[in-house]
Amino acid sequence: MSARVNGWLYVHAPYLLLDEQLAAQAENEREQPQVLLQQQGSTGPRVVQLNAAAQTAGIQRGMAMVTATTLVPDLICRDYQHNREQWLLQQLAQLLYQDVAQIALQPPQGLLFEVRSLLRLYGGWQALQKQLQQRLQEAPIRYYWASGYSPLAARLLAQAEVSVLSADPQVTTAALAQLPIQASGLETRAQQRLLDVGMTTLGSLLQRSNSALGARFGKDITHYLAELRGDFSPPQRYYRPPAQFYQRIDLLSEVESWPQLVFALKRLLQQLEVFLQGRQLSTRNLRLQAYHRDQAPTVVVIQFAHAVWQQRDMLQLCQLHLERQVLPFPALELSIRVRELENRQAHANSLLPVQQELPAVAALVSRLQARLGEHAIQVPQVQADWRPEHAHCLATWSRSQAAAPALNPSQRRPVWLLPQAQPIDRRQWQLHWGPERLQSGWWDDQPCVRDYFIAVDEFQRQGWIYHDPQGWFLHGWFS
Amino acid sequence: MVATATNLQQLVQKGWVWQGQQTPLQKTSTDFLDSGWPELNAQLGGGWLRGSVNEIQIEVGFRGELGLVLPLLQRSNERPHVWVNPPAQPYAPGLQSQGLVPQQQWCIQEADHTKALWAIEQCIQSQSVGLILAWLPQLNAAQVRRLQQVTEQAQQLVFIFTDCQQEPEARAYVNRLRLHWQDELQIEVLKRRFGWPLPPFPCALQRLLPERRLVKKSAHNNTSHAVTGTTRLTL
Repeated sequence: MSARVNGWLYVHAPYLLLDEQLAAQAENEREQPQVLLQQQGSTGPRVVQLNAAAQTAGIQRGMAMVTATTLVPDLICRDYQHNREQWLLQQLAQLLYQDVAQIALQPPQGLLFEVRSLLRLYGGWQALQKQLQQRLQEAPIRYYWASGYSPLAARLLAQAEVSVLSADPQVTTAALAQLPIQASGLETRAQQRLLDVGMTTLGSLLQRSNSALGARFGKDITHYLAELRGDFSPPQRYYRPPAQFYQRIDLLSEVESWPQLVFALKRLLQQLEVFLQGRQLSTRNLRLQAYHRDQAPTVVVIQFAHAVWQQRDMLQLCQLHLERQVLPFPALELSIRVRELENRQAHANSLLPVQQELPAVAALVSRLQARLGEHAIQVPQVQADWRPEHAHCLATWSRSQAAAPALNPSQRRPVWLLPQAQPIDRRQWQLHWGPERLQSGWWDDQPCVRDYFIAVDEFQRQGWIYHDPQGWFLHGWFS
Repeated sequence: MVATATNLQQLVQKGWVWQGQQTPLQKTSTDFLDSGWPELNAQLGGGWLRGSVNEIQIEVGFRGELGLVLPLLQRSNERPHVWVNPPAQPYAPGLQSQGLVPQQQWCIQEADHTKALWAIEQCIQSQSVGLILAWLPQLNAAQVRRLQQVTEQAQQLVFIFTDCQQEPEARAYVNRLRLHWQDELQIEVLKRRFGWPLPPFPCALQRLLPERRLVKKSAHNNTSHAVTGTTRLTL
């Protein structure tokens, strides 16, 4: 008994899913009584989560939907979604992972923290509590938390909605003793047997010796007590952060256009920033998905020319990008996925001789591409081919560009090339230099034999013209 | 007397007083970028003014307007130069033979006028690019004023190539030049920051371009017929 230390912390968020939905609502909408319903057996849907307004209106957890709607006729009802809540629980773990390394998910609404080592780091429960409280303010949830000398002790207290944070095991024991047997987490049959002999609280159970209880109620109860007292700890599976970011947000009402999604997008990007900041990572692309009622989701992939991690930057670029997009159907949900993550210092110590890339240049490229399209910036490139129109191409700007092949300096080439050679009237042109015969391409479908000249037209412009079996053509200009 | 001197200073700063010297009073030579053409430098007070939007009016395209800015493009290959709505493709081998790095020439084709101007402004503001060359229809007064303001703040250099206007309305460009051709390229200064407009004067652009054969005007037609497909002309 004397070696007991309160080394566990349990956070219980009984309204996890609803609180998340409330956070996405406007102020006046939040004030409306709202509940989440779940089908339970054959008795019809019952209230599983409710907001403060519903509570004041007299609605309670476990109440049948019929009763609830009779109490509050304009009650907003939605279905409880288990999977969604599991996602949220992971997100919550993700958030708290910034402060606590050992977190075990306790579905559907709990998180267990092993804090023994952290107490040393923070210098006691008070400092730790302050840090976690601050962190939890980022999550828009109502929660209860309790410390304990065993995972079970902390869990029972938190789930009973008794918030007891204390370094003193005596305080925990005292609080546990107050709990009714119904809050013990034991099977209903075991609870009944205890109640039958007049044990109505956990306290009455804790007073008795293990052996006496074991003799009377069997091995299960002694196991239970060992677990509660911390004499026996079942192994915990601790949360590991995912290697990618995925976050989905319920819009709660249909949203018709991208600009109206900005509010939701802001929140998602804020979470992305937290995720990236916590790992010192950045990203160059993200994938937005808008989910519709019946149609397949609309996917928008947004590329950045430079690595970003701040919400402000990402939002600005996303907004520019989305200006070009049309939302084909109203959206119900929005998600962001980021798969490719990179270390922030990755480029500083890269061994490859990457062309010196100023951050400002990359940021400019990102902005231009976001508003004008991914292929907005075209860069001329020299290609190893004799045929003039194949000796060059306009390629989309990219980070690492191949070095240009060496050029024969004696060749006279114009600075302008017409995308398509234009037929010309030979009599309008004075030939000044030439011909240069360019002949090749027998290995592909477009063989060509052309004699190129530099010639001057009636306006005194210097053109690059050629003659081939089809006639005379203008192909480029020299200035 | 003091009051008069201050008034004069104000007038000088507004650019309303013609100054009989090469470099205007309140500007030092570092405020100007050598255009590569001594005759043009002399007329513009030392070269292109840093932080200026310059208009180049052209009678017909492809007759020297790119040559005019080639010395500037050649001078800096570290930063990308931006070409907005170029009238044809900048041809990589040709750029190379003029000493330019093709990869550093960014081409942006944007049919939407507003978006094109937005892109130009972004490039100016980012301060990470070299020259900004844009081929655009005539801009209105507000657009030019805005571009000039941003350009001056960012100390960039912008060239707008546009059609000739018979009677140009006032615009906030620092320099407005019109290109003509009379045996060689002629530059007419319609407006400059420090001085009056100037009649056309020649610019030795030909040194950057393939040599021309001197053809007597009267012999124009005959000569062109004298060249046949396989005759190699050396020059």
